[in-house]
Amino acid sequence: MVKSISVLILFAAATSLFAQPSVSIEEILKKIEANYKMTSDAHATVALTQQKAGQGVKNFSMLYYRRDKDNAFMIAMTEPESEKGNGYLRVEDNFWMYRRNTRTFQHVNRDENIAGSDAKGDDFEYKDLTRKFTGVKDPAGKDSIGQEKLGQMPVYKFKVKAIINDVDYPHKTFWVRTDNFLLLKEEDFALSGTLMATAYYLKYTQINGKFVPVKQMFIDEFEKGNKTIMEITGISTDKLDDKIFTKAYLENLSK
Amino acid sequence: MPVIVLISLRNLLRQKRRNILLGIAMAFGTMILVLANSFSHGISDVLFNKIVAYVAGHVNISFTEGSNLYKQVFRDGDRIVELVKKELPDITQIQEAIGVLTRAIGNGKADNVIMVGVDLDRAMGIAISKEELKKEQEEYKQNFKMVDGDFLDLAKSGAENPVAVSESKAKYLNVKKGDIIRVRFTDIDGQSQAARLTVVAIFKPANSFMAAPVFLEVQTLKRLLGYGPHDIAQLYLRIKNAKKMAAKDADRLHAVLEPSTAVIFGKADVHNKSAMVSVLGLRADTAAKKILMKNFAIVLGDSVAAFGKEGVCMVESLAAALGVMPGDTCTVTYKAKYDTQMVSMKYPIKAIVKPLNAMRGNVVFVNEKEFYAGYYYHWPQDARAHYPGAYLPAKSDVYYAAFDPEWMLLKRSRTTDDATKQVRELGKSKFKGVAVNVQSMYESASAVLQLEGALNMITFSAVMVLFFIILIGVINTLRMTIRERTREIGTVRAIGMQKNDVRNSFLLETFFLALFASLTGVVLAFALIGIFSLVPINMQDNPMSMLLVNNHLNFKPAAVDIIFDILLILAISVGTAYFPARRAAKLSAAAALRHYE
Repeated sequence: MVKSISVLILFAAATSLFAQPSVSIEEILKKIEANYKMTSDAHATVALTQQKAGQGVKNFSMLYYRRDKDNAFMIAMTEPESEKGNGYLRVEDNFWMYRRNTRTFQHVNRDENIAGSDAKGDDFEYKDLTRKFTGVKDPAGKDSIGQEKLGQMPVYKFKVKAIINDVDYPHKTFWVRTDNFLLLKEEDFALSGTLMATAYYLKYTQINGKFVPVKQMFIDEFEKGNKTIMEITGISTDKLDDKIFTKAYLENLSK
Repeated sequence: MPVIVLISLRNLLRQKRRNILLGIAMAFGTMILVLANSFSHGISDVLFNKIVAYVAGHVNISFTEGSNLYKQVFRDGDRIVELVKKELPDITQIQEAIGVLTRAIGNGKADNVIMVGVDLDRAMGIAISKEELKKEQEEYKQNFKMVDGDFLDLAKSGAENPVAVSESKAKYLNVKKGDIIRVRFTDIDGQSQAARLTVVAIFKPANSFMAAPVFLEVQTLKRLLGYGPHDIAQLYLRIKNAKKMAAKDADRLHAVLEPSTAVIFGKADVHNKSAMVSVLGLRADTAAKKILMKNFAIVLGDSVAAFGKEGVCMVESLAAALGVMPGDTCTVTYKAKYDTQMVSMKYPIKAIVKPLNAMRGNVVFVNEKEFYAGYYYHWPQDARAHYPGAYLPAKSDVYYAAFDPEWMLLKRSRTTDDATKQVRELGKSKFKGVAVNVQSMYESASAVLQLEGALNMITFSAVMVLFFIILIGVINTLRMTIRERTREIGTVRAIGMQKNDVRNSFLLETFFLALFASLTGVVLAFALIGIFSLVPINMQDNPMSMLLVNNHLNFKPAAVDIIFDILLILAISVGTAYFPARRAAKLSAAAALRHYE
C-alpha cells in the first residue's frame, strides 16, 4: 500500500513537473514586459562591481535617468575617477556615448559595454521582448516550455529566438518564476550556439506596482572569470525634466 | 669642332686639380640629388601603391546603413560592382575593406585582435594578367613571410574559418598551426557573435602594423559578420596612375552613383481584393514633411498617422478600389531581385490621403524606417526596367524630394576636414537608408600623403643647401680662373677674339665640367642604389619599417627626373658662371695685358 502511494506521489510530482504549462511563451513574455514596464519616469543610483580575470575588482557608480514616454535613458558616470563625467544617452534609436576628455559624443551600438563592464546598453532599457523575440517551438509546432526548479523556486524554462536583427543576442533561454512571472535567469547565445553570457536577477523591489530588478549579476561565459554585479539604489519615480535627456545636459553635468 | 669648344676643353684640362675637386663636389651633389629623388619616389611608391591602396584605397566607396557608422553594408552589391567596373576601366583591383575588433581566446590566453579580410580569390572579378597576378602574389609573400603553413590556405583550406596569425600574436595567444582561436565580435546588425577560427598559417610580419591583426579570407569574414551573398562592405579601389587619376575617378563615380527614388512595385491584397501598387518611402526630415503637408489632403486619419514616424497611408483612389479603411492591413507581394520566392510585406494602413497634384497609378506611402527595412533586406527588381506601370516620380515632380531615394549620396568632400565633418554629421543623422560616400585618397588618406609631401620637402631642402655650396664653389673657381687668365684674355682679345667668344669659352668650360661631373654623379648614384638595396634592414618594431620593401630600402629612379636633375645642374652652373664670364669678356685687351700679379 505504502509502495503504491509512493508511486502515485512520484507520478503526480513527475506529471506536474513535466506537464506542458497552460501558458504560451508569448504570454510569459508579455507578463515579463508587464512586470517591468514602468509607468512613470525614474531615476536611481547604479553601482557596478566588475571582476575581470587577472585584473581584480573595479567599482563603478553612475546616475541613471529614465523617461517613460519614449523609453529614453541617460547614464552619467560618477565613479571611478577615470570614468567620472563620461556618460551615455539613448533617445529613440540613437545611442550616444559621451567622453569628457574629448568632449565628444559618439554613436554606439546598443550592445556597447557600459564603462567597459559586462553590463550593456540594453540592460538599461525596456525589455520589449515580444517585439524582438518569439518562442522556440518543439517538433510538433508547440511552444517548448519546461518546468523545473531554480534553487527552490519553480520556474518556466524556455528558449526564444530573435525575429528582428536589432537585438544583442539572437538566441536566449529564460527562467521565469511560475507564480509572478519574474525573470530569474537568462542565458544569451550567439548564432553559432555558443553560450556568451548568463544574467541572474537576484533581487527585485516593487515600485508603483512594478518590479525593478535591483540586484543583477552578469557572467561572461565566453571569457571565463569575468562577471559584473549591478545594484540599483535610491529609486525615485518623480517626473523628470525633458532637458535631462539631451546632450547638452549630459555635457553640462560632466563639467 | 668649333674652336671655342676646343679652347674650353683644353682649359678644362689645364687646371686639373682645381677642376677635379670642383667636379667631385658637383658629382657628389648630383649623386645626392639622384639618390634623394629615387628614395623619395620609392617612398611615394610604397605610400601610394602599398600603404594607401591597402588602408584607404586610391578611391573608396563607403556605405553606411541607418546612419550607424559600424554598419558598413550595401545590399545590392552586384549593381555597384558592375557600375564601378564599367565606369573605371583603369581599375586594377576592388577590395572589400572589412576589419572588426574582436576578443580572441587562444590556449589559456586572451587578447584583443582585429579580424581583417583579404581577397585572395579576387572575388570582385577584375581580370589581371599573369604578370600582375604574380606581382600581387609576390606582394603577399613580402608582407607575410611564412613561419608555418601557407597564406594561400586561407582560401583553399577546408578548415573551419581559416586564419593567418602573426608570429608574435600566435605566441601571445599560445597557439600554433592547427589550433583553434575562439573569437567574440559584433556583427553588422549589432549582435554579439562567437566563432572558432583555425590557425592555418603563422607569418612573420613585414612591419609592426601587420603584427596586430589576424587575417581571414574576406568571404569567410563576411559570412561571420552576417553579410548576405549580395551584400558588400566598403570598397577600396586600386587604379593605375593613382596620383593623377584618383580624384578624377572619384568624381566620375560620384556622378554615376546619383540615386533614383526607391520604389517597390507589387500586388497589394486587402479584403480579397487586389491591385498593382507602387510603394514609396516617405523621408522623415522637416523639408519632406512640408512638401507632403502642402501637396496632400488628408481624407481619413491625421497627418501623424499619414506622414509621421510610423505613418503608413494610401492614396484615396486605391483605397476606394480596394475598400481600405485606416486600421486595415495591406499585404504587398513583389518579386525581389535576389530572392527566388516572392516577398510579402505587411503595411498597416493608418490614413487615406489625396494628392493635390497629378500622381499616376496606385500608391502606398510608408514611413522611412519600415520602408527601408523591407526594401534593403529584399531588394526589389528595378521598377524602371521591369514595370512601366510603376509610379516613378520625375525630378521635376513636386513630390520628388519627399520620397526616399534608393540611397543618399553624400557630397564629394574636397579636404580631409570636410570628409571628417561629413562623417560626424552622418553619425548624428537619423536617416534610415544607406549613405553612400565616394572619396579619393586625397581626402581619405591625406595624412599619408602629407607624409610624402614632408619627405619631399626635406629632400628638396637638403638638395638646395647642397646646391648653394656648389654654387659658391663654381663662382669662386671661376673668379680665380679669370684672375689667373686675365693676361691670356688680353692676348686673345688683342689677336682678334670677340667678347662673346671669351664669355662663351668660360661658359662652355663650366658647362663641360658640370656635364661630366653630373654624369659621373648619376653613375655613382646608381652604384650606391645597388649597394643600399642589397643591405637588409631589420626594424620590425619601428613604424618606419612600413616604408621598407622586403626589409630593404626602396629606390625608384625615374629617367625623366634624372634628365631633369642633370639639366638643372647644368643650368645652375652655367647661370652662375655667366656673370664672372661676362665680366671677363668685358675686360679691354690693353687693361688685361697690363694685369700683373
